[in-house]
Amino acid sequence: MAPSLIRSPVQLPPAEALTLSQQAPAILQSSPSTVSSSALSSLFSAAEKPELWIQYENLILSCLRTGDDRAAQECLNRLVARFGNNDRVMALGGLIKEAQAQNNGELETILKEYDQMLEQNNANLPIMKRRIALLRSMGRLSDAGSALVQLLDFSPTDSEAWSELSDLYFSQGLYPQAIYAMEEVLILAPNAWNVRNATVKQSKPYANGSSQVHARLGELQYMAATASGVINGSYQKQMAEAIKRFSRSIELCDDYLRGYYGLKLVTKRLLKDNTKPAGKVDDEDFTLPDSSTIERLNELATAKLAEIVRHSSAQDRGWKGYDAAEVAAARELLSEDAPSGIER
Amino acid sequence: MAQVPVQTIHRDPQLFYWILFPITIVMILTGILRHYATVLMSSAPKPLDLRSTREQRSLLHGISLRSNFHALSRRSFHTRRDVVITAYESGAYLKDPDRKGQPPANPMTDPSSMDGMMGMMKNQMAMIIPNTLIMSWINAFFSGYVIMKLPFPLTIKFKSMLQAGVGTKDMDPRWMSSISWYFLCMFGLQSVFNFLLGNDNAASQMAQQMGQMGPQAPQMFGPGVDPNKQFLAEAENLAVIEHHSVLDGVEQRLLEGIRI
Repeated sequence: MAPSLIRSPVQLPPAEALTLSQQAPAILQSSPSTVSSSALSSLFSAAEKPELWIQYENLILSCLRTGDDRAAQECLNRLVARFGNNDRVMALGGLIKEAQAQNNGELETILKEYDQMLEQNNANLPIMKRRIALLRSMGRLSDAGSALVQLLDFSPTDSEAWSELSDLYFSQGLYPQAIYAMEEVLILAPNAWNVRNATVKQSKPYANGSSQVHARLGELQYMAATASGVINGSYQKQMAEAIKRFSRSIELCDDYLRGYYGLKLVTKRLLKDNTKPAGKVDDEDFTLPDSSTIERLNELATAKLAEIVRHSSAQDRGWKGYDAAEVAAARELLSEDAPSGIER
Repeated sequence: MAQVPVQTIHRDPQLFYWILFPITIVMILTGILRHYATVLMSSAPKPLDLRSTREQRSLLHGISLRSNFHALSRRSFHTRRDVVITAYESGAYLKDPDRKGQPPANPMTDPSSMDGMMGMMKNQMAMIIPNTLIMSWINAFFSGYVIMKLPFPLTIKFKSMLQAGVGTKDMDPRWMSSISWYFLCMFGLQSVFNFLLGNDNAASQMAQQMGQMGPQAPQMFGPGVDPNKQFLAEAENLAVIEHHSVLDGVEQRLLEGIRI
């Protein structure tokens, strides 16, 4: 899909972000520098479109990524001229300042500014999120975590914040908490087409958000299960849920590389362990499927992964859009399996 | 059977220029004026403070937990449910927990809901005043004669409405006077306003009236709704859920569904 300024540029690879930000001068020139919001002039001039403002916002993000601070500032000026200082524009302004900051001291001053803004209006969500992101990028993880928990206490329907919290916990190695937060995302957006989620990479352009969340949960369960290194009741339970999550993610999105990769990883591990499913312990938890099912799942995942790797390295029609790194990882996983190496 | 002779009335063609046109133009201009008057008079919605945001979103969170419980495993659903129900029943999410159990405050005394009422009042006034003025203007100037003939037949009941001020007993009700042209304009100019002012204009009162007439969705967070009762009802809804999960048997579905 061609990069477009209407969609949010969160998940764009660098090259596409560059092409977007190179359009900046043309866009800034072609649109009028001020759009009056008064009633009278809107009778005579062309109507303003909401797309224009989304375009400016996304242009700011792309330009900041590629270092074009001047164009970003110009976009911001136009947004301020139209909307004044509302929450969202304030957050964008903060973002630009953060990007231009040279050292830690400047970041500290920006953090203080955020605190002041929040004192004036303590329900200012965009600024709150900026503050959390800033804390995180400054390495103050526990502060960021507690601020996020505070945010989620009064706004528990914010899936973006939940997924950020999950990622934060994950980076600190707190798997059960990370799983809990990710499950919240799933509750809020069970069928979402696109969860705004920077941590979950799209390995297929049209993989929908929910299948990503399922796969992510599967990964978290797998890591939680394998992290302790002890094979016990919770290990089996978590592996069982990991299998189910990966299966669900594939069910939601055919040929989802990440889902198959995870499925293969988990089933391989289980086959190696040769664990027998424990007798029915608790009605509450999932139990592992029997070993023949695991074997069949493993075969399915292997075959599908091989197919995806083959087609996408041959650049076949309809198989483009996989992330190159992920395809490489899948190839490696497959070659571990078969020492002779697979055909390209 | 003898045909009823078609009534023909000779009208001055000047009627067309001096009545139909002015009424139409006046109606359109009033609509535009009303639109901008509404825009000018409307006040920006007041931002919610922290506590009420928390109250509303906690309730929404419970609702989404209830509707999407199938995405969770049984254990994590039960954990969440216990937490949420306990919090709901103890009123932990209420805006002011001290007022729990008391009857909701009179919406008239609550300043935040007064704003909403004022907004509605303003809209109503912006509708009623111009309509009254134009109707009396038309009645004063243009009543007492017919100006055009409708291209479709009508029953006799319409006579009193369409031929107001025309005292002719056996005239076909298709003949209409200026006041009925006014009504036609009032009901029919919506698309013209859409063209001139965009889709979400406030020019025509018809859309608003339709909205009032339609089945009204139960008000969620309006004034006069007791949030504590909402929370208790939601807790009850959550408590009766029989859990099942999309993850039940997903491996079998996958193995059957996907052929290599």
